[in-house]
Amino acid sequence: MAVGRVEAGQRPQARARKGRPLGVSQWTPYLFLVVPLALFLMWVIGPLFYSFYLSLTNWDGISAPKLVGLANYRRLFADPIFYTAVWNNVKWLISFITVPVIMGLALAMALNRNIPGARLIKAIFYSPYILSLVVVGLIFGWIYLPAGGLLNSTLSTLGLGALSKGWLSDKGLATWCIIAAAVWRQVGYVMTLYLAGLQGVDPSLVDASKVDGANSWQAFRHVILPLLNPVTVVVVVISIIDSLRSFDLVYIMTRGGPANASTVMANFMYIEAFNNYNMGYAASIAVILFLITSIFIFIYLARVMATEMEY
Amino acid sequence: MSRVTPQITILAAIAAVALVALIALGCQSTPPAAQAPIIQTVVVRETQVVEKVVEKVVEKPVEKVVEKQVVVTAAPKGRLVYNSYQSDPEPRKQDADLVNLFRQKYPNIDLEHNTVDHEGFKQAIRTYLASSRPPDVMTWFAGNRARFFIDKGLIMDISDVWKKEGWLEKYPKGFQALSSVDGKQYFVPTSYYWWALYYHKPTLEKAGVQPPKTFDDLLAACDKLRAAGVAPIAIGTKAPWTAAGWFDYLNMRTNGPDFHINLMLGKEKYDDPRVKKTFDNWKKMLDKKCFIENPASYAWQEVIPFMLQGKAGMYLMGQFIMDSVPKENQKDFDFVRFPIIDPSVKIGEDAPTDGYFAAAKAPNPEAAKTFLAFLGSKEAQEYFAKSLQRLPTHGDVDPKIFSPETQKGIELIKGADYVAQFYDRDTTPEMAEKGMAAFQDFMADPSKIDGLLTNLEKERARIFAEQQ
Repeated sequence: MAVGRVEAGQRPQARARKGRPLGVSQWTPYLFLVVPLALFLMWVIGPLFYSFYLSLTNWDGISAPKLVGLANYRRLFADPIFYTAVWNNVKWLISFITVPVIMGLALAMALNRNIPGARLIKAIFYSPYILSLVVVGLIFGWIYLPAGGLLNSTLSTLGLGALSKGWLSDKGLATWCIIAAAVWRQVGYVMTLYLAGLQGVDPSLVDASKVDGANSWQAFRHVILPLLNPVTVVVVVISIIDSLRSFDLVYIMTRGGPANASTVMANFMYIEAFNNYNMGYAASIAVILFLITSIFIFIYLARVMATEMEY
Repeated sequence: MSRVTPQITILAAIAAVALVALIALGCQSTPPAAQAPIIQTVVVRETQVVEKVVEKVVEKPVEKVVEKQVVVTAAPKGRLVYNSYQSDPEPRKQDADLVNLFRQKYPNIDLEHNTVDHEGFKQAIRTYLASSRPPDVMTWFAGNRARFFIDKGLIMDISDVWKKEGWLEKYPKGFQALSSVDGKQYFVPTSYYWWALYYHKPTLEKAGVQPPKTFDDLLAACDKLRAAGVAPIAIGTKAPWTAAGWFDYLNMRTNGPDFHINLMLGKEKYDDPRVKKTFDNWKKMLDKKCFIENPASYAWQEVIPFMLQGKAGMYLMGQFIMDSVPKENQKDFDFVRFPIIDPSVKIGEDAPTDGYFAAAKAPNPEAAKTFLAFLGSKEAQEYFAKSLQRLPTHGDVDPKIFSPETQKGIELIKGADYVAQFYDRDTTPEMAEKGMAAFQDFMADPSKIDGLLTNLEKERARIFAEQQ
């Protein structure tokens, strides 16, 4: 968003150089920027630094915050729940940059042609994405119910009753079950992004490669996929950010349980802040989560800026 | 096709926007009408008229008949905000009825009633209290949970209400102690409920099981029910407080309420051998497969159907379990005191007490006190006792109005040597969170108990050190 604003601001400046005297218009873009910048400072940058400050205090939400130095961070790095949360976030991240990306791309390739009903199928695959995460969480919660849940009933109907489990109450499985629900929702979204990207692929390039004797796989691998590179970058970055901020499904489906086995950083932070009233400690979790997320955001921005420079 | 589609889309979009706008408009105008029948709106309008009249009338009598306090109590008016956590369907209805009773009685007070879901309320209360215009009156838990805010000066001193209403004579000493700090009263305890081992009569009869009186009875009942193909005990630990109920009772029955409450207050250690003994007893139950499979998959209400279907026999739960049992099935349910483990140990029961308080910074303190006086009155408590079967705290409430169920509950509490609030009310919220996670963990894998207790002890030491 910030990038977009700067761009919009630069345009009148460029025009001004051509037409009007410099003195008047030099400040015009900044005048336009005052309001959004003020709001941005107040609602985004301000709270950001306030969180940094809170992470150095022992604030409980009511008493005056007292500075405690790095005590929250020392405690955090000795807290086993923190490592469970980070590890679960890693599971989310790896699943998110592989499964939905591959499945979404495959679906987009399959549906990007004039087959009857393609539109309907696209709409069907996209529809989970318009559901609120809370609804997805509740639906999958019911599917995973050990007694009478859809998954276990289906398994026993198929004669695989031995495989039925308490999906969300199994410490080893809970996280994977939540991720499966998230992936189900994400695939259609990734597919749509790739379908949009495929519109930008010039069919004559593919045809040319075919003329040169490339088979379908080679055309896909060496012509289409490289042309989709910018989309892939966007998809991967979005997936990474989505996986790091995962919270809703975890909170709805297990509340991070059983015994914190499926917690993620955002959920851990929420419980510490609003259940245990450790605002200072929760702020330190927020700061760490922010630092991890910002690494990926910087990589993304660096790439976006680099490509913009080329034009 | 391509020409028609965009037009249709635009038309549809306009229609959709118009629809949304209509709905929004409708919503804005409906709430008073939707929540209360039209009669209510009329009443509200009348009150505005009445208000003026009363103002005129009141001015004179106050000057002339100063001794008559009744006139003064009619005086508070203006806006009063009441935030409530009574979000379950049944209590919510009764809560709204009570508010309407108050509105009829004090038409000068414009009472705004907000219901927030129970968990959300617990998270929001600090924000309410820290704001410069907090809600005037709120629901809350008596005991330590209220004490925390009282110590921070966030709860209004209402000793004058207690004196004026004569509550110091009418409320039993135990409830006075729950509401007072240093001889001043801050809280209005209005109802409490008992915890007990609930059971489904037909299921137990079918398996030839008597409601257990001792721990050995309980273990034997587990064997019999399992043999009959029934899960002996229902429990849903998705929200882990249900497991805390088992810890409370097993610990009180094994080590006595005195040790239990000191553990809650951080004065005893979690790696104490006595705590270990409690878990040994719990392990005996797990070894006999006393509980349903996969308890962590279910919310507490979600396992009630197992009992209705005869697939599970018993359930350790608070009286509010009956709010979730369908009316026609309630006759099949009964309860007994949690089985005795060691007869030489004093009997402790969990009986969480709920009530109300006014914020210290309440914008309308006079109206807030009037509302609290109403909520603590015999009339309001009788209403709640009749409709929800909760136990009233007011000493004057006629026991004749109680159902047989309530009378049995009162006997249960009367027979106790000590009444505790509940794990997550007796100890700090953070300790409760850590403890309940450990109970959940223990139920999944009892062999990890030593590590869990060592860890809990570490947390206890840190949490209670920070408290000082």
